[in-house]
Amino acid sequence: MEDSKNIAGEKLAPELNSRREFMKQTGAILGAAGIMSMVPMGTKAAAWAGGSDAPELKEVKVGFIPLTDCASLVIASVMKFDEKYGIKIMLSKEASWAGVRDKLTNGELHAAHVLYGLVYGVHLGIGGQKQDMSVLMTLNNNGQAITLSNQLKDKGVTNGAALKKLVDSEKRDYTFAQTFPTGTHAMWLYYWLASYGINPLADVKTITVPPPQMVANMRIGNMDGFCVGEPWNNRAIYDKIGFTATTTQDIWKDHPEKVLGCTGAFAHKYPNTARALIMAVLEASKYIDEMGNRRKVAEIIADKSYVNCPLEVIDQRLEGKYEDGLGRKWNDPNYMKFYNDGAVNFPYLSDGMWFLTQHKRWGLLKEDPDYLAVAKKINQIELYKQAASQVKVPVPREVMRSSKLMDGTVWDGRDPKKYAAGFKVRA
Amino acid sequence: MNIRRYFGEHVFPPLIGIGLFIIVWMILAQSSEALPGPLKTWNSAVALFSDPFYNHGPNDQGIGWNILNSLGRVGVGFGLAALVGIPLGFIIGRIEFIDKMSSPIISMLRPVSPLAWLPIGLLVFKAANPAAIWVIFISSIWPMIINTAMGVRQLPTDYLNVAKVLNLSEWKIFTRILFPATLPYMLTGIRLAIGTAWLVIVAAEMLTGGVGIGFWVWDEWNNLNVEHIIIAIFIVGIVGLLLEMMLVRLAKRFSY
Repeated sequence: MEDSKNIAGEKLAPELNSRREFMKQTGAILGAAGIMSMVPMGTKAAAWAGGSDAPELKEVKVGFIPLTDCASLVIASVMKFDEKYGIKIMLSKEASWAGVRDKLTNGELHAAHVLYGLVYGVHLGIGGQKQDMSVLMTLNNNGQAITLSNQLKDKGVTNGAALKKLVDSEKRDYTFAQTFPTGTHAMWLYYWLASYGINPLADVKTITVPPPQMVANMRIGNMDGFCVGEPWNNRAIYDKIGFTATTTQDIWKDHPEKVLGCTGAFAHKYPNTARALIMAVLEASKYIDEMGNRRKVAEIIADKSYVNCPLEVIDQRLEGKYEDGLGRKWNDPNYMKFYNDGAVNFPYLSDGMWFLTQHKRWGLLKEDPDYLAVAKKINQIELYKQAASQVKVPVPREVMRSSKLMDGTVWDGRDPKKYAAGFKVRA
Repeated sequence: MNIRRYFGEHVFPPLIGIGLFIIVWMILAQSSEALPGPLKTWNSAVALFSDPFYNHGPNDQGIGWNILNSLGRVGVGFGLAALVGIPLGFIIGRIEFIDKMSSPIISMLRPVSPLAWLPIGLLVFKAANPAAIWVIFISSIWPMIINTAMGVRQLPTDYLNVAKVLNLSEWKIFTRILFPATLPYMLTGIRLAIGTAWLVIVAAEMLTGGVGIGFWVWDEWNNLNVEHIIIAIFIVGIVGLLLEMMLVRLAKRFSY
C-alpha cells in the first residue's frame, strides 16, 4: 500500500526511467497492474502513472512547411507513434514561415516544424510580435544548401571565392534569397557570403521570398543565388537552372536546423502533451535514421499531403547521395540527420545562443541580449530530458557543445558577446 | 432560317474565339519548355475531376472540396458585407449629412488593395479563417455601399413629392418607392462585389493556407505543377462566370 501511494503522489520525478522500471518489477503485486495488462501496449506507456502524467490534450495541431526536414513529424503521425503516447498529431500544411509564426502565436497551432532562428526572433520581438516562445527539441541537423544560378556558372563562378571576384569586378545588383529574416537559411547564407568577404547586407541584395519564387526567379535570370532546405536545391539541379555551391553541413557540420517550436504558454500549460509530442517525434526520428527505412520515408513524405513533389527529387539527398550539378557526385557522411543517437534532438543552449549572436552580428538585434538567460528560457531542456529518458534516448551531459565552423572559428557558447562582436564582416 | 441566324450570331463567334485561344496557347506551349499545352492540361484536368471529392486528411482533399470551401468563405464574407453595406448605402444616399461625413473615409479606403487588410484581420481575429473572411468582407463592401447610395440619390424627386402629397409613412416610402427604384443599382453593386470577392479569395487563401482553391494553387505552385495551375485559372474563371450569370438572372427577375 505504501508503495502504490508513492507512485500516485510522485508527479514529475526527474528520474522517470527508474520509476518505470520500478513499476515493472512491482507490477505483479499491485492491483493496478492487473488492469494495465489489459490495456494494449501502446496506451500503457502513456497512462502508466495512473493518469497524472496523461497528456492534457488528445489532439495536437502541428504545423509544417513542405520540406524534406518535416519528415519526423509526418512519420510520427503516419506510423502512429503519436497514438502510442496518448496523443493524435493533426498535421497542418502551412503557406509560409510568416504563416507558421502567426498561427503559433495566435494559438491556431499548438506546435510547429519551424526555423530555429525564427523562434528566437519572435521571443525577442524581431521578425514578429514579441511573445514568449519555446523550443521543445531539435528536429534535424544538416541538409540545407546554397544554390547559385547557371548564369553565374557560365561566368566561371562555381564557389564562394570566384563569386567574390565576380562581385568585385563586375558591378551590378546581385540578388540572393533566403526564407525568413531571422531564420536559419538567412544565417547560413550570410555566414557563407561573409566568410568570402562579401557583405550580405551591403555588397549584394538579399530578399525574403518563398522557395517556388526563388526557383521561378532563377529560371528567368532574376536571382543569383538562394539558401533553402531540401528538396529545393536538388530541384534546381533537376530543373537545370542552378547548382549547389555548398551544402550547409559544409558551413557547420551537424548544425541545428528546424526545431519543434511552440509558445512558452503552451509548454507551461500542457507539459504532459509536450512530453508526449517529444517522445513520439523521438521515436520517429530513430526510425528515419535507420538508413534502410529512408527510401520508405521518402515515399511517404513525397505524397501530395506532405511535401508534394516527385520522389526522385527527395530520395537521393535524403539517403546522403549528393550531386552538385557541376558533375561532382559524392556520398555525404553529414547528410540530413534526424536522430544520430539523440545528438540531433537535444536542444543545446549553445545552438540557440548562436542564432542570437548572428542576429546581433547582422544588426537584427541592436543590443546584446542576455544570451544564456534567453536560451535557458526558450529551450525546454527539462521537458526534453524527461521525455528522452522515457523512450531511452541518450542525453548529453553538457548543455553546450563545441562546433568549428567553415571559417575556423569555434563556437562553444562561452562569451557570446565577444563571439558576436568578433566577426570582421558584419552589419 | 431562325436557327441558322441564332447559330451565326450566338454560337459561331464564341466558338471561333475559343478555337483561336487554344491555337495561340498551343503555339506558346510549343515554344516554351515549361508551359504545358492544351492536351496535356486537359488530360490532367480529366484525372483531377474524375475524383473531385476524395478526402485524404486535412492536407490533401479533392478539388471539389477546395472549391466548396472557397465558395463558403466568399459566401460568409460577402453575406456580411451585404448585411452591412446595403443598409449603409441607403442611409448615406438618403441623409446628405452622413454622406458628406463618410465620403472622405470611403474614398480613401476603397482603393486600398484587399490583401493589405489581411494583417489587420490576423491581428484582430487571431485566426487565419476569419481573417480571410474579413478580407472578402472589406473588399466587397465598397461597391455595395456606393452603388446603393447612388441608386437612392438617382431617385427622381417627383416620386418623393408624390409620396409627401399622399402622406405616406417612411416605411411605405421605403418599401414602395425607395427599394424598388434602387434595386437595379443595388444589384449592380452586388454583382461587382461578388466579382471582387471571388477574385480576392484566391489571393487571401494563398497567404493563409487551409482547404481552398487559393491554397491549392499555392501548393501546386510549390510543386511547380504548371498544368494544375492552369486548370485552377480556368476553375476560378468559370466559377466567377457562373456566379456572375446567377446574379444577372436574379437581376432580370427583379427588374420592374
